Amino acid sequence: MKLSLAIGTVAAVIAAAAPTDVAPSIAEASQTPAAAPAAGGNRLRVPVDYYKLPNGLKVVLSRDTTSPTACVAVYYNIGFRNEPKDRTGFAHLFEHMMFQGSANLGKMAFIRLVESNGGLLNGSTRFDFTNYFQVVPSHVLEPILWAEADRMRSLDIDIENLKNQQEVVKNEVKVNVLNQPYGGFPWIDLPMSANENWFNAHNFYGDLAHLDAATVDEVRAFFKTYYAPNNAVLVVTGDFSPDEVKGWVQKYFGNVPSAKLPGSPDLKEPRQEKEKRAGRTDPLANRPALGIAYHAPNRLTPEWYAFGLLDEALAQGSDSLLYDELVRKKGMTGSVAAGINFGLGNMFDYSGPMLWIAQFFHDSSVSSDALLAAIDGIVEKVRKDGLDQSALDRARVKMRSDLYASLEQFAGFGRANLLASFALFDDDPSKINQLEDGFEKVTPALIQKTAEEYLRPGNRTVYVVTPGKTAAQGDKEAR
Amino acid sequence: MKPIFVFALALLAGMQQAAQQKPPATGAPKDFVLPAAKRFTLANGLPVTMVPFGQVPKAAIRLVVAAGNLYENKDEVWLADLTGNLMREGTASETADAVARGFAAMGGELGINVGPDNTSISTEVLSERAADAVRKLADVAQRPRLPESEIERVKGNLLRNLAISKSSPQAIAQERFAQLLYGEHPYGRVFPTEAMVKGYTLNQVQTFYRAHYGAARARLYVAGVFDAASLESAIKQAFEGWTGGKATDAPPLPPSSGRQFALIDRADAPQSTVMLGLRVPTASHKDWVALEVTDALLGGAFGSRITTNIRELKGYTYSPYSQLDAHPAQASWVEAADVTTNVTGASLKEIFLEIDKLRKEAPPAAELRGIQNNLAGVFVVQNASRTGVIGRLAFVDLHKVGPDYLSTYVKRVMAVTPEEVRRIANEYLTPDKMSLVVVGDEKTVKSQVTQWAQ
Repeated sequence: MKLSLAIGTVAAVIAAAAPTDVAPSIAEASQTPAAAPAAGGNRLRVPVDYYKLPNGLKVVLSRDTTSPTACVAVYYNIGFRNEPKDRTGFAHLFEHMMFQGSANLGKMAFIRLVESNGGLLNGSTRFDFTNYFQVVPSHVLEPILWAEADRMRSLDIDIENLKNQQEVVKNEVKVNVLNQPYGGFPWIDLPMSANENWFNAHNFYGDLAHLDAATVDEVRAFFKTYYAPNNAVLVVTGDFSPDEVKGWVQKYFGNVPSAKLPGSPDLKEPRQEKEKRAGRTDPLANRPALGIAYHAPNRLTPEWYAFGLLDEALAQGSDSLLYDELVRKKGMTGSVAAGINFGLGNMFDYSGPMLWIAQFFHDSSVSSDALLAAIDGIVEKVRKDGLDQSALDRARVKMRSDLYASLEQFAGFGRANLLASFALFDDDPSKINQLEDGFEKVTPALIQKTAEEYLRPGNRTVYVVTPGKTAAQGDKEAR
Repeated sequence: MKPIFVFALALLAGMQQAAQQKPPATGAPKDFVLPAAKRFTLANGLPVTMVPFGQVPKAAIRLVVAAGNLYENKDEVWLADLTGNLMREGTASETADAVARGFAAMGGELGINVGPDNTSISTEVLSERAADAVRKLADVAQRPRLPESEIERVKGNLLRNLAISKSSPQAIAQERFAQLLYGEHPYGRVFPTEAMVKGYTLNQVQTFYRAHYGAARARLYVAGVFDAASLESAIKQAFEGWTGGKATDAPPLPPSSGRQFALIDRADAPQSTVMLGLRVPTASHKDWVALEVTDALLGGAFGSRITTNIRELKGYTYSPYSQLDAHPAQASWVEAADVTTNVTGASLKEIFLEIDKLRKEAPPAAELRGIQNNLAGVFVVQNASRTGVIGRLAFVDLHKVGPDYLSTYVKRVMAVTPEEVRRIANEYLTPDKMSLVVVGDEKTVKSQVTQWAQ
């Protein structure tokens, strides 16, 4: 009966383009992939069949016969980082438009095709990709692949659809941010405060005026620029015949024309040398909240693997160092929530600069400075001494368990998500099978060195939400 | 389906002349077999269900105890939550941090989730530690330390959660909606007062624990990859000595009260949070599956009528949904949406129009078939995980719907006829009995909703 949990999951909702009402099922459902450890070893071996069509479409097949279901996921290499500067929120608005019709599927027809074939579907917009996925009984794969190819080839929208989805997206921003206590905290607030480069630091949910300003021509141009097979990966996981699926992929996607892609923007962030402080007054909130962010090491580097284990040890679960100190010993907060790519993904599914974020809700009897001092007590000790052996061992076990969990998430979608990310960003989905090794190789010395550099006070941004009326509100009432 | 589809085609006709291609046909469905469960009952009466499932080397363990909010007295709201949270604070033999580290070392975490009917104590660990996890979980359930030293801190966390919850418009609406449906019954009490929580004593927690935790009120479920023989013997050893807990004693439901209305002011809110609905028969009733189908067609599925109308045609909202919420004695049906403030009345009008329409006209067979296929497919997906399997089995046990409920579910979904959907809507989804809650900017919204305010 505790409804406050919703606060922690608000961020996930930016994702939901289409069926928000499948979310309860998503939360409950997950699946077991045929990804048992190899005989004689302790390592995951996810089957990976990777190839490219002549038009550049990357294809990953990963078979799993645990249940008669399949997941189809199409990831486009365009996230909200690199949307146009005067059109914040455009990448996400565009994601909604992909559900509005294509040459052979009118409005609602895509959604009905999936649902009436027993499937669930959704889409989401993240830092570095926009994805569309369906979880379906495996015998309906062919029409689903046909439909995904149809909208990759021939998005077909008009002003009515656009106006409709502008209203829907504005309502999405209202329900998740504007009419919500802590709306946008910390998943929009901290990237905007900690990053210097506009691509990483703008409001990716979008200014309402920018959303209103979008035109049909802009939607079509965005589609033409980024939604080409040579900028995408198609992943199919589940219980299917590989030869049959390869035939359908060739038949339906093979003749989608490729496009000349624009160059990638420079996403680099400068090394942060001095702590930054930011915050706001939230008239809807009644308890203060503290968010902290550190720039994380570059993805897939040895330090990044070490940072993943630091995250496990510091902030994941009720055995973690921060939970033990802040919740159990000092009673300053009731929970610790944190992660790399917090609220919008995991430590694997992005490609540019990324933050590690942690959030804490507390009472006004505890100041944010006192909370920060308690956090510093733990962080500085880890920077100096690293982790003790038992904490490091637990971090590795938790990482392995969490990795299995993310692979199993939502009937194969979790696995498709990792395969798509490694195909899209690294051209090598088999990296999924190298992750455990990467974490295993981390030494206690590397843990300490990584903590020393990346958990520097100068690398940190602090964001404080203070409950109360804003200046404008105070004026209004005084008058 | 028809009106929408025609609308879509009409739009397209103006834009393109080429004939549309039809999607390719589907293949033949593969057999779906529910995982076989092994059931046995310990000497003390604790029912155990073990389901070998999947290939990933993990096991999910869940102990379900009839110790939810249903068993709280009127002035004890969230005493069940306080008890559950205090059970995380160590056992007779281990401190809280040692318990937490123990579960973490097995790749899991201790979860204690207090719900309206049950409290679940659960974990999901790496397979080789399944028997150890059962022992640890049994220790938490049977020998919680319930330390006096931690109660004020744990109450402080509950008070903070309470305050934060009550700043969210959805939670405010849910609280009032539950009150309107269930009155003074525990299902009608979503939130305690601050004073209530502050006043709780360790003695009250201990009394609640002694009355409601015990083999007589619990069920144990395990699903995943495990060594059955060693796990079974670990379960017997760990749980056979557990006694205590009175027989279940749910308070009776008050009669339904008919239409009630509440408008709660949220000054200058950009959206109104609306909830409307009523009490309906629950899972053990013969009409339950048909109710589920009706709910999905009306507002539950993304392609449902209400969602298509107020989101995809009108753009009034982002996240409308309807759902059935089942307790053992009673269920409720609700349609909820956060709609732009100036179309609050217009949204309600459309929602009621869709309900009225379904009560008068049986849906087209093709539309119904799509919804039935959807429910059948989602059922398979939901049974495709360890926790999904446990959730289904626990549902069957909670509602006492019989061992063949799951194996006949898809068949019963597919057997529902269009006329039956109309009858169900007509019989159970009666608008003049529906309660309605609006949380929004009163000065703008009030005049829009007067027609429903009695």
